Amino acid sequence: MNVVPPALARLIADLNRLPGIGRKTATRLALHIMRRPASEAQSLARDLAELHGAIRLCANCFAFSETDPCAICRDSERDSRLVCVVEEPADLMAIEKTGAFKGKYHILHGVLSPMDGIGPEELKVEALVERVRRQRVVEVLVATSSTVPGEATAAYLIKRLQEEGGVTVTRLACGIPMGMDIKYADELTLSRAIESRKDTRG
Amino acid sequence: MHGLFHQPLPPGQNLAVVLQVRDHGESDKIVTLYTRGLGKLASIAKGAKRSKKRFVNKLEPFSLLNVQLATSRSSSLMRLDEAELLAPYPALRQEYPQYLAATLLCELVLHWTREHDSDAELFDLLTWALSGLASGGEGRRTIAFFHIKLLEILGYRPSFDGCLDCGMLSAQKAPYRFSPLRNGLVCNSCEPAFSANSLPISMQTVQLLRKAQDLAQDKLERLRFSKGALLETLALLRRYDSHLLQRELQSWNFLC
Repeated sequence: MNVVPPALARLIADLNRLPGIGRKTATRLALHIMRRPASEAQSLARDLAELHGAIRLCANCFAFSETDPCAICRDSERDSRLVCVVEEPADLMAIEKTGAFKGKYHILHGVLSPMDGIGPEELKVEALVERVRRQRVVEVLVATSSTVPGEATAAYLIKRLQEEGGVTVTRLACGIPMGMDIKYADELTLSRAIESRKDTRG
Repeated sequence: MHGLFHQPLPPGQNLAVVLQVRDHGESDKIVTLYTRGLGKLASIAKGAKRSKKRFVNKLEPFSLLNVQLATSRSSSLMRLDEAELLAPYPALRQEYPQYLAATLLCELVLHWTREHDSDAELFDLLTWALSGLASGGEGRRTIAFFHIKLLEILGYRPSFDGCLDCGMLSAQKAPYRFSPLRNGLVCNSCEPAFSANSLPISMQTVQLLRKAQDLAQDKLERLRFSKGALLETLALLRRYDSHLLQRELQSWNFLC
């Protein structure tokens, strides 16, 4: 006997496919949507339906955006001679939240991962090189993660851009996180922190 | 560091190389390890994606670890409880060619071994190759040496001693071809028709491969391969992989 009506079962199965949502959470969410007014469900359905039609990739920086070029690329207040390279859109959001960066972005959409068949051609690398050449970029800040694939991707980009020439390539610093006791930092991080130490004279 | 390999470890501890790391759900990671005592195994590191303490910067590909593993009642995955970073091999992430080569080494171990089939000799070979790469060893050479020894350890040593049909190895019988199907060489007079799966191979490369098979691991560095011989060797090993594993290893695409 099937106690769950098919329409509800379908919704549970759909929600279940989302990351971090198991069957129980999916059931809870589905029942919640069921209990709320129909207009809320319709608004959710509309947002979902319009998502793929409305969002596209910015042709300049490859961020998700409703407009092309995106709001950041159009912003004349921002310095277009400074480009920050990140792995994915979520990294852009993290850097934007700090408010410390006033340049523009370039999103690679992945990292170099030979085992998964992802090489430089699968990422937006040539588009970056082309952009640096065309738009007279002065500095490229490579802000990929400090994981092994992120570092390897950074190494590749730095080499590629230096071959091209005419641009300063910088790398996001790597060191002791705020609030961490030096005693508990691993050797690699600590030695990196020492290498990238800063002159305090301002 | 190599002294460490021969000390008995406390129960539950194991020397391990990280072959592959995958995110699992919101906060966990599935880490595939090649351990010295237990062979290849998949383990789950609970909270590794979020925790700022326990696993930060340790569960990265190629790292040599001392791990504490526990079996789990509910799943075939082992639980990774603790990891001590013994060698992070920083050069393998700071140079793209070294990263490519190290990735192929790990992919080879991933596909050539079975779970829980331990082989200390293979483990030592892997750490030898990784530390060689990390100290600036040339990627293609290291891969060739590693691969030749890997096949030997696993019992898939191809024969380069002569033609499989007439047993001869001489320049008059050249050109020779390597047949992955028959696991050895065939000469031009025994099998003049070109078969789709076999690869032409020069006499110089045959001689180098024979020497590489006979030399001990620590003496391989003395062997000098010309660029042509090295490329021929890698093409042969790649063909052999795809024949015996019945799949294409992705990392090869970026190396040759």
